[in-house]
Amino acid sequence: MLLEIKSLDSGYGFLQVLWDVSFYVEEGEFVALIGPNGAGKSTTLKTISGLLEPQGGEILFEGNPIGGMEGHLVCRKGVAYISEELNLFVNMTVKENLEMGAFMIKDSAKQAENLEFVYELFPRLYEREAQFAGTLSGGERKMLAIGRGMMSGPSLLLVDEPSLGLAPMLTNEVFKALKALNARGTTILLVEQNVNKTLKNTSRAYILEKGKIVLDGKSADLADDEHVRKIYLGH
Amino acid sequence: MANAATESTIDKIDQTIEESFVQKAVRWLFSAGGITICLTILVAVVATIHKGPYILVNTFITGGMWALMAIGLALLFSVMNIAGFAHGEYFMAGSLTAYFVMQPISNYTLEHPESFMAYVGPMIAILAGTFMCAFLGILTERLVFKQLRMRNREGWLLNCFLITLGISVIFQNTHQLAFGANFKGILAYWDFPSVPIFGVYMSIDRICAFFIAILTMIGFYIFMMFSTSGKTIRAVSQDEDGARMVGISVDTVHVLTFALSCGLAGLAGASLLFMFPSYPTVGVMPLYNSWFIIILVGFGNVAGSIPGGFMIALFQVLTRSYLGEGWEAVVPVLLISLILIFKPSGIFATKVRTVWDE
Repeated sequence: MLLEIKSLDSGYGFLQVLWDVSFYVEEGEFVALIGPNGAGKSTTLKTISGLLEPQGGEILFEGNPIGGMEGHLVCRKGVAYISEELNLFVNMTVKENLEMGAFMIKDSAKQAENLEFVYELFPRLYEREAQFAGTLSGGERKMLAIGRGMMSGPSLLLVDEPSLGLAPMLTNEVFKALKALNARGTTILLVEQNVNKTLKNTSRAYILEKGKIVLDGKSADLADDEHVRKIYLGH
Repeated sequence: MANAATESTIDKIDQTIEESFVQKAVRWLFSAGGITICLTILVAVVATIHKGPYILVNTFITGGMWALMAIGLALLFSVMNIAGFAHGEYFMAGSLTAYFVMQPISNYTLEHPESFMAYVGPMIAILAGTFMCAFLGILTERLVFKQLRMRNREGWLLNCFLITLGISVIFQNTHQLAFGANFKGILAYWDFPSVPIFGVYMSIDRICAFFIAILTMIGFYIFMMFSTSGKTIRAVSQDEDGARMVGISVDTVHVLTFALSCGLAGLAGASLLFMFPSYPTVGVMPLYNSWFIIILVGFGNVAGSIPGGFMIALFQVLTRSYLGEGWEAVVPVLLISLILIFKPSGIFATKVRTVWDE
């Protein structure tokens, strides 16, 4: 098991958001975490990636506990986190951003290989190589954030709301890229609001409501579920 | 249809981004930064013709050093959100260290005037001051700011402001207690006859101070732009969480930033020992100057500190020669007040980044 979360409690100071959340992600899977606004999806990812300290429970990555570990150490273990705000280095060029993504890879040949892979995945980034990240359009920023996450060659990719603020066409493109990454062996845990598209693309999904996991199963099964259809799909 | 629409908007954006070089230059000329820089150059030229080349020479020598101080301050502010009011004390510590290292060296060179030490000795003293301050900076970060960061980050900016004031008091009084309040100065680093530059006789020390400042700035630029450590510093200043997400240890970057920033202040203090003998409050004037620069160019603008340093220096040199010594402190404060009222983000209009934005 690549990632295992055991009865995780987390939140911001006195405000507890997650209550006894447990789930797992197997190697090579494409798993989605869906739920309404404020359910704690982003909090879950922030806690896994070490930007937020868990208040209770355990996070196991490849069998080792990573709960409460500092963000940069979690990243060095092979977990890449792509946040909702993207957290790009806006006054650096696209290429510099990508190079920073491979910061902890000391082998320059491996770095170049990853860079080539990202450019192959997003040719647009190659065209904009010398441009400052702050001048990119919304879709390009998403691509850059995903590309920067991929530069470290992670075994687990945590992606937070990649479709947020994107035109439907660009959303499709981002989903296509994520699927391609998954097909090449990267495990992905995706947080999304776009339930329809997410369930179509992922293999398994968890539904998080008010900080608790209320439903889980194969994405195809969930799409047929009464509760999901009523609340999330609207038919 | 949607596809075509998006493509055309992207093309439009491309056109606005890829304006010609001339257009960019013209736009820059009419921005606050461009106007100020052109005005400064004009004033410098007029004053030089009117009063003589010493105006320009003096501006370049002190301006470079103030710029080094301001770079350090800007780094602290942009990377760690610390408004450093103890920066003058690192200037003082740098000059003090250089003084004590220079003592035996100058005694030796008095006896052996032709020796190798007469050339290299001062460099050793200046480097000793620099590294001493870098070390003091690391100590300060570990003992004070790291502790504060681990405890809580609420009211960070104000807490840091008060803490740096406290550090400044501690440094000044330690100096007074341990070494006394008298002036600890040297006559000259390089004891050679002055050389004329554009009709102005310049001591070798002044010329060296100028070149030290320029070389340090070039070195600093190369370090920040091309080295991995420099890039991590820039990354943390632009997005701390983003830096964590790519595996940068923010803690290490903070130590590095403090070492660099305080080291630069120490370098300035050590190189200017021949002008400012070391005494407990020698750092106050350089601190004010670097704060003027920071306010002028905008908080946390590292690159802008360099032209800012020369502007403030020119301003002071002009005030001194046209209005007299006493006005030196008054006029810059007036200028800073005006900037704070009309252009609080500084002449280069960088976004003011503070903890209040977070």
